[in-house]
This record gives sequence, C-alpha cells and structure tokens, in this order.
Amino acid sequence: MKPVVVVHGGAGRIFKDREEGARSGVTRAALKGYSILKQGGNALDAVEEAVTSMEDDPHFNAGCGSVLNEKGEVEMDAIIMDGKNLASGAVSAVKCIANPIKLARLVMEKTEHMLLTDHGANLFAKAMGVPEIPGEKLITERSRERWSKNLEPDSNPHEFKKDPGTVGAVAIDNEGNVACATSTGGLTNKLVGRVGDSACIGSGGYADNHVGAISTTGHGESMMKVVLARLILYHMEQGMSPVDAADTALNYMKTRVGGLGGVIVVSNSGGWAARFSTKQMSWATVKDDQLQYGIYTGEIHTSSVAEALESK
Amino acid sequence: MGTKPVLVVHGGAWAIPDEFAERSILGVKNAVKNGFAVLEMGGSSMKAVEIAVRALEDDTVFDAGHGAVLNADGYVELDAIIMNGKTLAAGAVSCIRNISNPVTFACSVLEKTPYVMLTGTGSNQFAEKLGIPQVPVEELVTDHAKAEWEQYRKYKQTVKSLFNTELVHDTVGAVAIDCEGNMACATSTGGITNKMVGRVGDTPVIGSGGYADNLVGAVSATGHGESIMKVTLARLILFHMEQGKTPEEAADSALHYMEKRVHGRGGVIVVSKTGEWTARFTTKRMAWAGIKEGVLMYGLNPGETIQEILKPSK
Repeated sequence: MKPVVVVHGGAGRIFKDREEGARSGVTRAALKGYSILKQGGNALDAVEEAVTSMEDDPHFNAGCGSVLNEKGEVEMDAIIMDGKNLASGAVSAVKCIANPIKLARLVMEKTEHMLLTDHGANLFAKAMGVPEIPGEKLITERSRERWSKNLEPDSNPHEFKKDPGTVGAVAIDNEGNVACATSTGGLTNKLVGRVGDSACIGSGGYADNHVGAISTTGHGESMMKVVLARLILYHMEQGMSPVDAADTALNYMKTRVGGLGGVIVVSNSGGWAARFSTKQMSWATVKDDQLQYGIYTGEIHTSSVAEALESK
Repeated sequence: MGTKPVLVVHGGAWAIPDEFAERSILGVKNAVKNGFAVLEMGGSSMKAVEIAVRALEDDTVFDAGHGAVLNADGYVELDAIIMNGKTLAAGAVSCIRNISNPVTFACSVLEKTPYVMLTGTGSNQFAEKLGIPQVPVEELVTDHAKAEWEQYRKYKQTVKSLFNTELVHDTVGAVAIDCEGNMACATSTGGITNKMVGRVGDTPVIGSGGYADNLVGAVSATGHGESIMKVTLARLILFHMEQGKTPEEAADSALHYMEKRVHGRGGVIVVSKTGEWTARFTTKRMAWAGIKEGVLMYGLNPGETIQEILKPSK
C-alpha cells in the first residue's frame, strides 16, 4: 500500500496576511507525517506527529495559538483514532498542556476509557508526567486581540463562526492501517466548558480500516448534529468516492442545519480528498513523494517532496 | 390525521440482579406512563422523553441522577443528552456534579445556548447562572452505590472485568414520536463504578448514546460505553434503517456488530418515523417499557414481553 497523509489547518475565513503562515504550516505538518510513513512507520504515529506540529504552530487554532474562552483562557479538545480496532482516545476542555493530541493518545493507550474531560483530563496528564505549562504560553497576541474585540458590545456574534478552527490529519500506512487525529481550541469567546465536535467520536473524526479515515473542521455544532465524519464513511461504504462522499455530506450539513465546514478523507485503498463548503481551508497532502496543498477552492500547488524539503 | 404517539424507556442493560428486578420493572413502567401522559395530551416528544428520563433519574434503583455510581474519587459525575429529531438540535452535558436532573440541564444547553455540549466546571457554572439548585453529593449517593464502590476499590477490578462479569449499573433513556410525527431521544447516566475522574462514556456523545432524526427514527443506547462509542451505535442503527431494515433488524445487526468487532455488549430502544419500535439487548437483562395505542409492554429477560392494556384516561 502506498502511504498517504492529508492534513488540514482549519476551514473558515483565513485573512490574507495569515495565508502564507497557513500554507507553510500545513505543508510542514504533511511532510513530517509523510517522513514517518516513508520510513515504514504507522498511520497513528504519522497523524499524531502532523497534528503535534500544528499544535506547536501559533498560526493555528490548536495548542499554542488556540482561541480563548469567555474568561480569556485556553480550553482544548482533541481526538485520535486507530482504524485497525476502532480504538480511540480523546480529551475535552483540557488546559495548560502543549499537546492535547498526545494526551488523547495516552487516554487511548493507557486507560480503558475513550474520553477524559476537564479537571480529570488534567489529573491524568499529571499522572502521565505530561508537563503542565502556564496557560499564557498558549495564548498569542492575535487570539487575545480577537477575544477582547468580541467582548465589545457591538461585536457581531456571527463573525465568530467564520474563523478557522481546528487542525487535523488522516493517514494510511504501508500496511493499510488508517488513522485520524483532530485538535482544537474551539470557538472564540465560547462559554467555559463548551465542547465541540473535535472531542466527539464520529463528529470530529473517525477511522475504520474497513472504509477509511476522516478529520473534520468548521462549525462544530453543525458537524455534531450530522455526525459528519461517520456520515462520510457511510457514503463511502455505499460505494461513493472520497470526493463524492465528502461533498454529499457537506452539502447535507449546509441544507439540513445551515452549517459550513471542511473535511479531509483517506480511503482504505489509498484514495484521498480535501473538500470544504467554506471559502477557504488550508490543507496539504503527500502521496508518491509528491506534495500538494491549497487554501482556496480549486487552488492546488504541486511539488516534489525533495523540492519542498529543500525550500524549508 | 396525526401520528399515533409512542414512548419507550429503558433502565439499563446489564446483569440486573434479582434483588433489583422488581424495582427496575416498576421504575420503567412508572417512567413510561409519566412520559406518555405528555404525548396523550398532544405534548411534544421532547417534553415526553425529558419527563420520562427525569422519573428514571429520580429513581434510585437506576444509575442516573439519584442512585448514580461513584467515580474513583468517590464522587458523582453525571452525563446526559437530549436530541430533537425535527431540527437535529441537541443538548448534552458531561461530568456535571451536584444536580438532580442532568437531562433537564441538557435541555437547557439546547434551548439557552448556541452549543451542543458543555462539560465539567463550566457546566456547573452555567447551571448556577440558570439558578438550578445545587444538590449535595450525599443526597445523590445511595448506600448501595457506596458499598459497590468500596468493593471495587478493594479488589481493584478493571472496567473490562466489571463489564465481563456484567456487574455494572447502568444508564437510563427514552425515545418518542409525538402526534405531529416529531421524534426525540434522551439518555442519562452516572457512568461506571470507580471510573477515572473525568471519564466520559457514550451517553452525552451525539450519535453514540443517542440520536434522533425525523427522517429515520430515534435511538437511546445503554451498555459498555466505550464499545458503543467505537461503533457510534445510535447512528449506526439509524443508518441500517435508512437502508430499509426494521427497528428490530437494525438493532440486532448493530448490536451483533458491536459484539463481534469490539467485544462489547449493550442494549437499545428504537422508534421509527412510522411508529414501529423495539427494545433489544445482548446483555443478560435490560429493563424496558413502551406504550403505544393503549397498550403497555415491558420486559427484563431476553425474549420476554409482558403486555398490559391500559385503562383509557378521561
């Protein structure tokens, strides 16, 4: 099986001055994931590595760079899933750690549970020796700016919905195992304790060796209402290609619940898709030593992995 | 002509010991009658499932609200979900403490916030803002829940072994279709005895613990939470129904898949958009009850269905 990795850095509105950072961030993440697969590594390690890279990148709404809740703090959600045995780990409303996706993996591998939340998630992190970092380390000037702007009485709540949320990755390794990972800081100025799709299996992501793997981004509540990741895989089980399945599901989400978003998909035969109903979604993929990436609908840049690594 | 309303409830799928059998049956019968009264008066399926689940939460024989099991710290953390099949709107809460009725709180999340799910400390802060009375944990904890917790801590039983011996208290839930054809589901739980602090199971996770869609049907699930999540059980059942299976076929198919693929057992209640319904389980027992067209049906053991004709209300 030719390994494939696809990543996204969020669907929504990406300001012009942020575009370069977004393109650069997703390509870096995809190349990192791919190097693991190329060396014979597994899909789970590849998606974890790709997402970690974006959590550490302040350009994205995950880990460092996460948006702030109404109290001005960072609360993060993340999920990882192994398509082989449907094992999964997730965390919701976790604070003061650099990499929620790593904690989600620990939930999967070191506990008999699938989701830990809030205080309990932080207790577990401590028990696992995950370093606690001061909340401020995750806050960027930009996220703080947006937070205080949204506190103003004349701010438009609908504007919040447009900003990109979430990062994610899907992969298939040379043994044909698929995996997905998704991580986010959520919605800016959200109520304390608000959990979106990213911690919810079937909504923020899903992986099943029998079909494929998905990671989603966009308006969290809408994705939860249609259980978006699982819905796309149903369509693929019925014979649709990754592109058709993604487009059908995104269209359904728009017409049924008025929500917009984006998804990345990999099928168990190595097909893939990066589709979105928002104006933009930063994404990148590597397959056959070829890197492709884009932000706007129809925008695809291609280069060889060798060229891309050289330019970095 | 309107739809014939249906309400079905469950009080948990597990090896319900004989000492709880009678109270469990009384509990589900009581809850289904309370909930159905809402439908009979032309009320909504959302209201009916909320009332039914409240009755189950208040009943200490079930692991939800009062009577919930204890986590590793000896504390009670509650999860719940409610979903509106017409709009796909949902409200859910995970790990909320010190309130009597998480299902009503889940309803508030749906109606009073733009969100689907709140968790932990934040959910308690919102409950306070809404003026929901705080209930001391001692009031929620029964002697039985405490004794069981002590026993499990003593023998350090793992969650899996707990489930394999099926000594797990469980979740409650309801599904309904009202006279306008609108569907709803609700599920509520205290989780698994001695679970890790902050452990969230299937109950509040949309598509796993429950799902409702006017175009297909409504489901509430119970059983081994982690397994239910792995197969997104509620959504899976509705997918089978979209493909043409009856509620019973869909439920059996999905439960069988869950057992084969991830070695988990559980139970579900399902109602379809045409008012057909079923209660199915792969555990030793599941307390369930349903009302439709003046007939109450209930059961506990596999294959068991007892029927009662209800006296028409004035």
